Amino acid sequence: MYKDKVVLITGASRGVGFEITKHFIENNATVIGLSKGNSNYKHECYHHFSVDLADPELITNCFRKEIGKQFKKIDIVINNAAVMTSQYAMIMPIKNAVEMVNVNLLGVFFVSREAAKLMRTKEPGRIINIGSMASSLEPIGDSIYAATKAGISSLANVLSKELSCLNITCNTLGITAIETDMLNSHTANAQVKIKEIINSLPIPRMATIDDILNVIDFYASDRSSYITAQTIYLGGIN
Amino acid sequence: MDKKAIYDIVVKQVKELNETLPLEQQFEVNENTILFGNGSNIDSLSLVSVIVDLEMVFSDEYGHDISLTDDRAMTRSISPFDNITNLVDYIEEIVNE
Repeated sequence: MYKDKVVLITGASRGVGFEITKHFIENNATVIGLSKGNSNYKHECYHHFSVDLADPELITNCFRKEIGKQFKKIDIVINNAAVMTSQYAMIMPIKNAVEMVNVNLLGVFFVSREAAKLMRTKEPGRIINIGSMASSLEPIGDSIYAATKAGISSLANVLSKELSCLNITCNTLGITAIETDMLNSHTANAQVKIKEIINSLPIPRMATIDDILNVIDFYASDRSSYITAQTIYLGGIN
Repeated sequence: MDKKAIYDIVVKQVKELNETLPLEQQFEVNENTILFGNGSNIDSLSLVSVIVDLEMVFSDEYGHDISLTDDRAMTRSISPFDNITNLVDYIEEIVNE
């Protein structure tokens, strides 16, 4: 399905990002994975770059000095990397709040910006942001996280206007919770809260990876050239 | 870098952009070619594309990591992007610092 496509995925080494990476590899894409740490995943078509997505200088240098030289083009960008601290605003640690803005919002901006420079081909380009149900449901404790996820929808909408002349579409997928190592790293109280939210959804279950891949394939399809500046939520959220 | 070398690089990038335009929109590329503002031959997104290409060429081929759109460029009374001559002058200034 993705033969000859070069796909860049952030947060590729674990969780949802890793599942997305395997999906594109299994469908014959070349995948560039970015994450803060290393990746244990080995495949001849997988190329990993360790970069702190909270640091714009490191992102820019990675594109200029490594990705841009090794890969002359990028077709699809999946902005998946995110960090999450759920805490009441008045006691949210400053460091965690700043990190969420830097990774979840500014990281998406700088990755999209640098990738767009390599997407200036005549071929279709796709920027797909992985958003969250939090931006719509706005749960207690997720003030910064929800704001960053709402922010990347707005970011995609503006970029869709700037980049449409380059045949690049920009969309967002608002996912619900999925059983990943990120979810399991939350405290027991936070996990209870997430399960309560899930039970209140029109479709009261967690997402499966296929629910996510289904929408990513839709956005990424060459047939979706007229689909841009959209946010699709899973599970019946709107 | 001397001014002639910089001029040749800038003209090459603008010519490459020019060649992507429909014939009726193509324009003459020389030191007086207007890049921005009244009388500009290219739209603002095309100018952005030229700037990106120039930053890449100067970084990749000549080892100069330059930013053509930082505060210094944007606050000048004479914009570096008014025409090719001004752009060449500005690039010469920053690559030779």
